[in-house]
Amino acid sequence: MDLLSNLAMGFSVASSIANLGFCLIGVILGTLIGVLPGIGATATIAMLLPITFQLEPVSSLIMLAGIYYGAQYGGSTTAILINMPGESSSAVTAIDGYQMARKGRAGTALATAAIGSFFAGSVATFLVALFAPPLTAVALQFGAAEYFSLMVLGLVMSVALAHGSVLKALAMVVLGLLLGIVGTDIYTGTPRFTMGITQFADGLNFVAVAIGVFGFAEILRNLEDEHEREVMTRNINRLFPSRQEFREMAGPILRGTGIGSVLGILPGGGAILASFASYTMEKKLSKTPEEFGKGALAGVAGPESANNAGAQTSFIPLLTLGIPANPVMALMIGAMIIQGIVPGPSVVTDQPQLFWGIIASMWIGNLMLVVLNLPLIGLWVKLLTVPYYVLFPIIMAMSAIGVYSVNGNPYDLFAVAFFGLLGYIMSKLRFEPAPLLLGFVLGPLLEENLRRAMILSRGDPTTFVTRPISAGLLVVSLIVLVLVFLPQIRKQRDEVFTESEG
Amino acid sequence: MILTLTRRALMGTALAFGLAGAAAAQDFPDRAITLVIPFAAGGSTDVVGRIVADRMSQELGQQIVVQNVGGAGGSLGAQQVAKADADGYTILMGTVATHALNPLILKQKPYDPVADFAPVSLLVLVPNVLAVNPALPVNTVQELIDLAKKEPLAYASSGNGTPLHLSGELFKTMAGVDITHIPYKGSGPALTDVLGNQVPVIFDNLPSASSHISSGKLKALGVTTAERAPSFPDVPAIAETLPGYETYSWNALFAPAGTPPEVVETLASAAKTAMADPAVVARMAEFSAEIVASGPEELAEHVKAEMTKWEPVVVEANVSLD
Repeated sequence: MDLLSNLAMGFSVASSIANLGFCLIGVILGTLIGVLPGIGATATIAMLLPITFQLEPVSSLIMLAGIYYGAQYGGSTTAILINMPGESSSAVTAIDGYQMARKGRAGTALATAAIGSFFAGSVATFLVALFAPPLTAVALQFGAAEYFSLMVLGLVMSVALAHGSVLKALAMVVLGLLLGIVGTDIYTGTPRFTMGITQFADGLNFVAVAIGVFGFAEILRNLEDEHEREVMTRNINRLFPSRQEFREMAGPILRGTGIGSVLGILPGGGAILASFASYTMEKKLSKTPEEFGKGALAGVAGPESANNAGAQTSFIPLLTLGIPANPVMALMIGAMIIQGIVPGPSVVTDQPQLFWGIIASMWIGNLMLVVLNLPLIGLWVKLLTVPYYVLFPIIMAMSAIGVYSVNGNPYDLFAVAFFGLLGYIMSKLRFEPAPLLLGFVLGPLLEENLRRAMILSRGDPTTFVTRPISAGLLVVSLIVLVLVFLPQIRKQRDEVFTESEG
Repeated sequence: MILTLTRRALMGTALAFGLAGAAAAQDFPDRAITLVIPFAAGGSTDVVGRIVADRMSQELGQQIVVQNVGGAGGSLGAQQVAKADADGYTILMGTVATHALNPLILKQKPYDPVADFAPVSLLVLVPNVLAVNPALPVNTVQELIDLAKKEPLAYASSGNGTPLHLSGELFKTMAGVDITHIPYKGSGPALTDVLGNQVPVIFDNLPSASSHISSGKLKALGVTTAERAPSFPDVPAIAETLPGYETYSWNALFAPAGTPPEVVETLASAAKTAMADPAVVARMAEFSAEIVASGPEELAEHVKAEMTKWEPVVVEANVSLD
């Protein structure tokens, strides 16, 4: 069979001593930068680009890919330990992972994240190998109308992210949407809410907002009450999950892998939704939804798997179309061109060694990551025993460096400070940051695609229901909306009944 | 009074800097040079910049460090170099966007493309291409024009006010047709939608579209340069149908205004040598970029010519950004 011989060739390329070495360097570097708050894969790969000149094309791409998915692993570590998500996917992990850590289950949370990521990464890699070309055809069916409906679905689901008041969650989503509007309108070129500052012309930086509302806000809260913090760090349970916990995480990991694999294929921002979607699904399916937001294992297992599966399948549009799904993929394209490889549909046929070598290396890299990370968990957890007055200045300094490294824009640092304060005030008033972040990420995509769909349909709004995929997504949104509000409505009705009885 | 003082003070500083510069220019470069690329890493300007920087480093005996300062359509990076010390240690990879289009389009001018820079070398010209999804029943530029007169069409570009958008607008004006412009956030998403036939027509950089043209996923109707591109000899120039139509993107090195002429000369000659290197020539050919490697005077002329050429297009297309 073609596939088997191709995979065999891929493994022979990827398992040469040199390439194994580059894969290892990549995943170690990736884990490290993932663990350092704020410093992302984009900045690191950009810094390493000149070095790749000297390497074989396949080696350099294997290393860069390793950094990318290594960072996905490492990113969840800071999200869990110090509530500091470095990218949109780990923002969801932070919700329940950090609560687990506060309850002394940091080891379990980290192990769950690593196991989930490994499983999802392995499955998604096989999907890439088996179905890359047909999946690309599906992704191309997604036009502006379909993306709009997908984003609507995402926003509807975001309400389910909240574990408190639905009204407050909606308020946060709307605030997030408004913050997402900051920057230059792509259709008219008009700057919106930039306060005349050119540095905000391209919008607010996601990393700055996320680190502010999650991380810095949490630091402020911890400083307010040093006592509570110390209690939490003293009880650390065993590191490896129990048999019961394994059983608990199996379902979420499987479902998360499915959702992540599907959404990762869409180049127009589908992968962003993966971890949010998985979280919503697990919360809806759970017998104990009230535990979500207070340290639910499924709330870590599902989203982490989804995010890693999405990270792997987002290579599909890159490898088959030469089209980047995110800034990291754009850098990989740059790396290919510098090496004299024209990315695009011809890569599979012209450079089979490269194509299959990268795919095989992804599996090897995922294996390396899980082997590397499981023993490291003990070390990460020990970090929590470092006195907070030592830890927090380090975290703040590293985050500031990390945020600055993304664009080299000092205004991003002002944004971190502002959103740190905002996050602190929000937590005092019991507003949650996750719906805000989702609104912030989805808002611009929602608007961009709504307006593009309307221009393409010449102002005819029926385009959203006459296109089958778009219509299907809108129907699912409606169902989710009903599912979310039904319990509330029922509860209110019950209350009315009780009152009238009394 | 204040004005005179300031002017005198300025002249004094310029003189002092000039003298210091002349002394320093002797042993230029004695430390690393920063090449500011005003776009995100991974794009076509970035790729050209990195290849050139790598080869020029060998030539100058000092490392050229690439720094990506993306944002505001290239204006942030250009602005940074305009304000940098005029010693040749901070240089810019300028483009048609930073040195012709943005200054014409932006209502608030963050820098002056002529007065704030010392031109170094025009490195390459990059053709753009007009391409369609193969499902669109046209095979030539003329057939596209005829179709556009009969039914509404739309074209995708990498964004508002980009060279590709204005190439499209110039095409519309010269052909006398109306095609709806659909801006995207960069070339990648625009290409995706044309490959998926969500939008039938695209103006794109030839390098980014080339693999799709070769594989038949896109049908190239014409290149935007006056002559056909050597990498695609079978694709006619749009000018063969619309005489006088000519647009292209370009990349050029600029130093801040006031950089000592000897330093500019050193940089320009290093760029010239780099662009003559067979490995670089091969890369640029794969990339469909035409090597120019001009001197400083030619680049200065080129910037003026480009601004004159684009001004009426910008006015006609009514593009302006705050």
